[in-house]
Amino acid sequence: MKTVLALLSLMLVALLLRSTALSVLAARGLPLDVLAFVTVVWALSRGEAWGTSFGFILGLMADLDAGHWLGRHALILALLGYALGRISHSLVRDSVRTQVVLLFIATLVHEAWVLSFELSGAASWPWLIGRVLLAATVTAPAGTLVLLVARWGSGQPLFGHAQLQSG
Amino acid sequence: MGGLLPPAERRSSVLVGAYAALSLLLLITGERLPQAALRGVGAWIFGPFDRVVLAVDRASAAWRENQRLHQRVAELELENVRLRDEGVENQRLRQQLELQTRRGVSLKPVEVLALSGEAVPSAATLGAGRDQGVHEGDVVITHEGLVGRIGESYPSLSRVVLLTDPNAAVACEVESVGVMGIVRYVTTPYPRIVLTGVALGDSVRVGQRVLTSGLSRRYPRSLPVGRIVRLGVDPSGLSQDIEVEPLARLSHLRHAFVIPAPDSLRERP
Repeated sequence: MKTVLALLSLMLVALLLRSTALSVLAARGLPLDVLAFVTVVWALSRGEAWGTSFGFILGLMADLDAGHWLGRHALILALLGYALGRISHSLVRDSVRTQVVLLFIATLVHEAWVLSFELSGAASWPWLIGRVLLAATVTAPAGTLVLLVARWGSGQPLFGHAQLQSG
Repeated sequence: MGGLLPPAERRSSVLVGAYAALSLLLLITGERLPQAALRGVGAWIFGPFDRVVLAVDRASAAWRENQRLHQRVAELELENVRLRDEGVENQRLRQQLELQTRRGVSLKPVEVLALSGEAVPSAATLGAGRDQGVHEGDVVITHEGLVGRIGESYPSLSRVVLLTDPNAAVACEVESVGVMGIVRYVTTPYPRIVLTGVALGDSVRVGQRVLTSGLSRRYPRSLPVGRIVRLGVDPSGLSQDIEVEPLARLSHLRHAFVIPAPDSLRERP
C-alpha cells in the first residue's frame, strides 16, 4: 500500500511539473525530461517489475495528456523501466557517475523515440538530434543534482547497494 | 552478459511483454478510442493540483505585472479615446461605401492551468468550461494575438487546440497587402508555423503581420496571429514558404480570453 501511494504521488508530481514549470522551461530551450527521470529513479529503487509498471502507467497518462499517439510514451517508458530495473541489481546505484550515465541514456532513448513521432522526412533529423542531445545533456546533471540533494536531505543512501553474487 | 546480470524475474518478463503488446496495440488503434472522455477525467483530476502549483508562481508574477499594467491602462485609455473617434468615422465611411459593418467581439477572461505536447506545447487546459460558457469551437486569444480554439469542453475545464497543433489551420491574410493563405503548424524540416498557399508572385515582406482573414466564419476578422520572420520557396516550387512567428507567446500562457463562437457555429454533441 505504501509503495502504491508513493508511486501515485511521484507520478502526480512528475505530471504536474511537466505540464506547468517544465513546459515553460522547455519552450525557453531547456528541456528537462521529468518522465525519464522519475522512471529511472523508480526502476533503480524498486527493480524491474515495479519499474516496468511505473513506466507504463506514467507513459499512458502522459499519452492521454498529449492527445496524439496513445501508447507512445507508455511503450518506451515501460521498456526503460524494465531495462533499468534489470541492470540496477548489478550497479552501485548511489554513485553519481552511474546516475549521470543512466539518466543521460534514458533521456536520450525516451526523447529520441517520442520526438521521432513529431517529425516527417530526413530534413528533420538534424533538429531531432540536437533536441535529443540537449534534453539528455540538461536532464542528466539536473536529475543527478536532485538525487544528491535528496540523499543529503535524507542523510542515507537512496537506493542501497548492488546485490553481490558469487561466481 | 548473462554473468553480469542476475536472472530476470518471470513476473517482470511477463509484465514487460504485456505492456509492450498493449502499448503497440494502442499505438495502432489508439486514434479510434474515445480519448476525449479519458482526457476529461484526467483534466478533472489534475485541474485542482495545477491551480495550486501555479498559485505561488502567479502571486509573484501578479505583483510585477500590476505595476506594468497600471502604466499600460493609462496609455490605452488615451489611445482608446482616439480609436473611438476613428471608429465612428470608419463606421460612417463604411456605411457610405455600403460595406458590411464588422461585428464586435466579447471577451471572456480565463486562466490557463497547464500546457501539454512535445516539443512545443500543442494544447492548453483552461480553468473554465461549459458551466462558465466556454464551448467547443470558441476562439482563444491573448492581448498579443490568436492562441487557438477550444477543442474539448468539460463542465469546469476546457482544452485549447493551440496554433502549434498539427491539426490546426487558420485562414489568414498578410496585413495591409491582403495576401491570403492558411496558417498551419508543420514539422518539416523543423517544427514551425507557416503561411501556406501563397503564390510565388505575391509580394510579402519579413516583419509584416499576419491576421485572420475572416474567410473562416469561426475566427473573427483581423485578429493578430503572427509576424513573418522568414521567406523562401516551397519545395514544390509552386508557392512561397513563409515562416510565421506567433504573436501570442504560446509557451508563456497564463491568462487568455475566449471569444464565443457565433450561435450558428456551435458544435453540437
